[in-house]
Amino acid sequence: MSTQDKPHKPHKPHKPDPAITNALKSWKTHSGFWLKAAVAIGLVSGLLLIGQAWLLAKTVNAVVFSKATLPDVMPWLWGMLAIFLCRVGLAWASEQAAFHAAVQVKLAIREQLYQKVQQLGPAWLSGERSGDIINSLSDGVEALEAYYARYVPAMALMALIPMALLVFVFANDWISGLIMLGTAPLIPLFMILIGKGTEKRNQQQWQALARMSAHFLDVIQGLTTLKLFNASRREARMVAQISDQHRLATMSVLRVAFLSSFVLEFFSTVSIAIVAVLIGFRLFWGEMDFFYGFFVLLLAPEFYLPLRNMGTQYHARMQAIGATERIVAILGETVETRDGTRDVISANTHTPIHLQNLTFTYPDGRQGVKDLNLTIHPGETLALVGLSGAGKTTLINLLMGFLQAQSGQILLGDTPLNTIAPETWRKQFAWLPQKPQLFPGTVADNIRLGQPQASLDAVQAAAEQAQAHTFIRALPQGYDTVIGEAGQGLSGGQIQRIALARAFLKDAPLVILDEATANLDRESETLVQAAVQKLAVGRTLIMIAHRLRTVQDADRIAVMDDGQVVQTGTHAELLQTSPVYQQMVNAYGGEA
Amino acid sequence: MKDLIRLLRLFKPYQGWMLLGMLLAFVTLMANVLLMAVSGWFITAMAMAGVAGVSMNYFTPAGLIRFAAIARTAGRYGERLVTHEATFRILSELRVWFYQKLEPLAPARLEAYRSGDLLSRIRADIDKLDNVYLRLLVPVVVAMLATLVFVLVLWFYDPLLALVEFTLLMVAGVMVPWLMNRWGASTGQQMVTTAAQMRSALVNDLQGMGELLVYGAADAHAAHIRQLSQDLAAQQQKMSGLQGIAQGALGLCANLAMWGMLLVAIPLVSEGKLLPPQLAMLALFALASFEAVMPLPLAFQTLGETLAAARRIFSLADMPPAVAEPEQPLPVPETLHFAFRDVDFRYQPEGTDVLHNISLDLPPAHKLAIVGATGSGKSTLASLLLRFREPVSGEILLDGQPLQQYHGEALRQHIAVVSQQTHLFNTTLRENLLLARPDADQEALDAACQLVLIHDFISSQPQGYDTWAGETGVRLSGGQAKRIAIARAVLKNAAVLILDEPTEGLDPETAQQVMANLVAHATAQRQSLLLITHRLHGLEQMDNIHVMDAGRIIESGTHAQLLAAKGYYQQLSVSGKLLVEKIKT
Repeated sequence: MSTQDKPHKPHKPHKPDPAITNALKSWKTHSGFWLKAAVAIGLVSGLLLIGQAWLLAKTVNAVVFSKATLPDVMPWLWGMLAIFLCRVGLAWASEQAAFHAAVQVKLAIREQLYQKVQQLGPAWLSGERSGDIINSLSDGVEALEAYYARYVPAMALMALIPMALLVFVFANDWISGLIMLGTAPLIPLFMILIGKGTEKRNQQQWQALARMSAHFLDVIQGLTTLKLFNASRREARMVAQISDQHRLATMSVLRVAFLSSFVLEFFSTVSIAIVAVLIGFRLFWGEMDFFYGFFVLLLAPEFYLPLRNMGTQYHARMQAIGATERIVAILGETVETRDGTRDVISANTHTPIHLQNLTFTYPDGRQGVKDLNLTIHPGETLALVGLSGAGKTTLINLLMGFLQAQSGQILLGDTPLNTIAPETWRKQFAWLPQKPQLFPGTVADNIRLGQPQASLDAVQAAAEQAQAHTFIRALPQGYDTVIGEAGQGLSGGQIQRIALARAFLKDAPLVILDEATANLDRESETLVQAAVQKLAVGRTLIMIAHRLRTVQDADRIAVMDDGQVVQTGTHAELLQTSPVYQQMVNAYGGEA
Repeated sequence: MKDLIRLLRLFKPYQGWMLLGMLLAFVTLMANVLLMAVSGWFITAMAMAGVAGVSMNYFTPAGLIRFAAIARTAGRYGERLVTHEATFRILSELRVWFYQKLEPLAPARLEAYRSGDLLSRIRADIDKLDNVYLRLLVPVVVAMLATLVFVLVLWFYDPLLALVEFTLLMVAGVMVPWLMNRWGASTGQQMVTTAAQMRSALVNDLQGMGELLVYGAADAHAAHIRQLSQDLAAQQQKMSGLQGIAQGALGLCANLAMWGMLLVAIPLVSEGKLLPPQLAMLALFALASFEAVMPLPLAFQTLGETLAAARRIFSLADMPPAVAEPEQPLPVPETLHFAFRDVDFRYQPEGTDVLHNISLDLPPAHKLAIVGATGSGKSTLASLLLRFREPVSGEILLDGQPLQQYHGEALRQHIAVVSQQTHLFNTTLRENLLLARPDADQEALDAACQLVLIHDFISSQPQGYDTWAGETGVRLSGGQAKRIAIARAVLKNAAVLILDEPTEGLDPETAQQVMANLVAHATAQRQSLLLITHRLHGLEQMDNIHVMDAGRIIESGTHAQLLAAKGYYQQLSVSGKLLVEKIKT
């Protein structure tokens, strides 16, 4: 095969991936018996319709041809009234059952998806567009509703009701029966032919929608930046352009999607017309009784109705398939879990951590760490220094278990870390990322994070140790002050100290800090520094350091370069022996 | 109702599409009623002719049936295409309209809103407004027209028939939807709110997933999401129940109408006032006519949801911008001389002063540094200068004229800013850089990136300048993202360059080099430089330095003067120096 024949990117399959339709099928189990109940009730309601038609035909026949008066036909009319009422109740019950089934599926899938994202963890999330994932978790899951609540029951009823009707039609008039039997399969046939093309386009449209969503989040988050560059008007044109693209893409799908319902309408209408005309002429020629003719004619539209309903629900299926594709893709991501199940750790503050020959390369080919060796002594304060890209962040992500090394191992004493259950391991350490995340809720709730049972006294004590008590007290509602997203209204130093209070409250033997002192003014830095020093007492502390003051307080410094720890030692030792370190310190010195 | 009218006014550019869609919907409906009624009549008439052995003209009814069948099928297809086209055009219009309303509110007014909530508003709420045309306007207008036609036709046969039809149409089309709307409104509002809450919680949880895991709060937060998901499901189930009742009541009305026709028409047939084929015709006519009101309960039910969405959209869009633009802006002068005179500023009217009695000068080609701790009000100075906010008292002058007399956008044309919360967009590095100057060539990009020492890194990437910057630039380290943001500001080549903590997140070595390059660049380009920092290095080359504390300027002078004054600046500086000397010995 010449290279020209090869597509640049793998093409989307023209048919939905069997994995996707299988997933949709297997998810039905989440709904329990509700879907079956919905279909059964729907079927009874459909059968009652035959009775209704029979009574109507009887009535009209009697009035027109037997000169019956109102009192003569009144019993039939009462019967009809009873059927009306029954059908209303049954239709409602059927719909509720189907909706309940759909709700069960949605709840289960959202739960699975969220847990999966949680398992994949923060390191995976940072590489993905969280806008897309949020879209799948909210709108994507919602798109399953119409599929289970309407499409699936409609499909089942489409097979059952026409069959039941057909029995009655054949019993009364085999010619009409043959016409219906002959035309009915044509409808799904054409639908499938048209549906095939639409399905692929629908998937593309869903992707376009997800991209549009991500673009919006991005644009709104960057609105200030856009304004600074006077580009916000330009971006308005982009918004219009993307919306227009979305419209054109959707309309091109709909033109075809509506075509399938056009075909349905066309065939069912023509079929009914043929049935009507043939009945009409046989009545005219006296070959048939009016009652049977009228009865069959009343049943004919009902015969095609479920088929037509399927047409209107068909795009519910396509929407669901588009959404499912994303959901299945996320659910199918491999979690690089440790198979560790050990839930007891014998390790304590006296256990060293050995990092042996660790190598990690990111899926996109970026090097993280390469053959890295380092021992973390119990109780020490270890500073990681190095230029950006030296592998400091990768190292701590490996240590925390958010990434799994391709080779090498981490030993806790002599226990390999990957034999320990992740939850158990995570109880052993506290973490302060570069930009701590505050969650909606009160200041106290944010400090309590993960320990909702902690008393206010404990929270205050932690805040005091984190040098946060004073400023929290000064907030309008103190510890009950509600914080906005990303801690709006709080300074960077204040957010850091709330995050530090979390760590104090957790009281874990190991503390991991990621550039915890970046972005702070001098005073905040001093306060944070003091808090960190307190935190280091009786604990092992590993921190990515950027400042001399931080480094000076460390018991030991690991200098990282190009994915490896090139040297370790105290500040004084390294100043003497490490040219890389000397160079860095000189730069630190200029920083003041 | 006010919201609805306002919404309709926004749709005005597309009224042609909208009217065409309604017309097609009406024609489709009428064709179906015609088809059913004529069929019923035709069958009965043929049977009677057959029984009586007389001939009849079956060409006309057969032709009518054919015509109605075609009109219905084609009309339905056209109606769907046109109404959807109109809907999407409206949506597109709405998005742009909303974005344009949002744009003047940034950044001052939007700080209070969570971005997750904002996103939910724009996307979900605006998507929801598609209901207004497709599910509300079209069905209501068509139903009203159709009811009129039906009643007139039946009146022709017998007023009592018209009365039965009208009564039941009103029950099905007005009373049932009205009741459903009453019962469904609060649930509709709850659904919008719950969905928004869930989205917002998802945004927060995904961003803070690491901390949730480490602090063992992941399960609690998952449970919270589960709870919201269940709440939403319960609300949806309730809504679906109402919807089911409405649909059922409607079907019942249609059947009752047919029943009523029989009840009224059978005696009329017996009396000879109606012809027998008309009995079948009227029964089928009544059944088919209720297609007109079928979509109404759904229309009114979604009304609550839609109005809630519209209210939220309008409430946000109606916020006045923090800064009003002048009616007749002055042209921005060639040389920019900014001056603050006794400027006070606070965020809340009753809050404490963030800036107090600030006076300073930034003449052309002047290098000014503002030094102070975080929270001392330094960044607010920049936001005042950019006209994102206005002073509470005192004034800011440009070229001797109050800053309020210049248009913010024209002003910002001449100012490049590296802010603390800089944003890299989800696109290539090139696109991110070109934001500053869309017509910049590769040479200009290279030069700007070389200046901030990021060029080599970009060139080392397989895709070079076409490398994708991940969400808020996470695929880049903080320092790399920062330097790209600085390069972007440099590329703009504006008369004034504002650097707000430009070296944060940079390695010290790099930071020093980048600062030196920026100062040299500004000097060579005769750019004014406003450096906002809490770091004291590299300030020797500044023409003037203001030291700020708690919103006030407490010291001013050059680096040398400030050192000589032995004030706060000197203290900070000396403690820094001592630290360095201590290390070196």
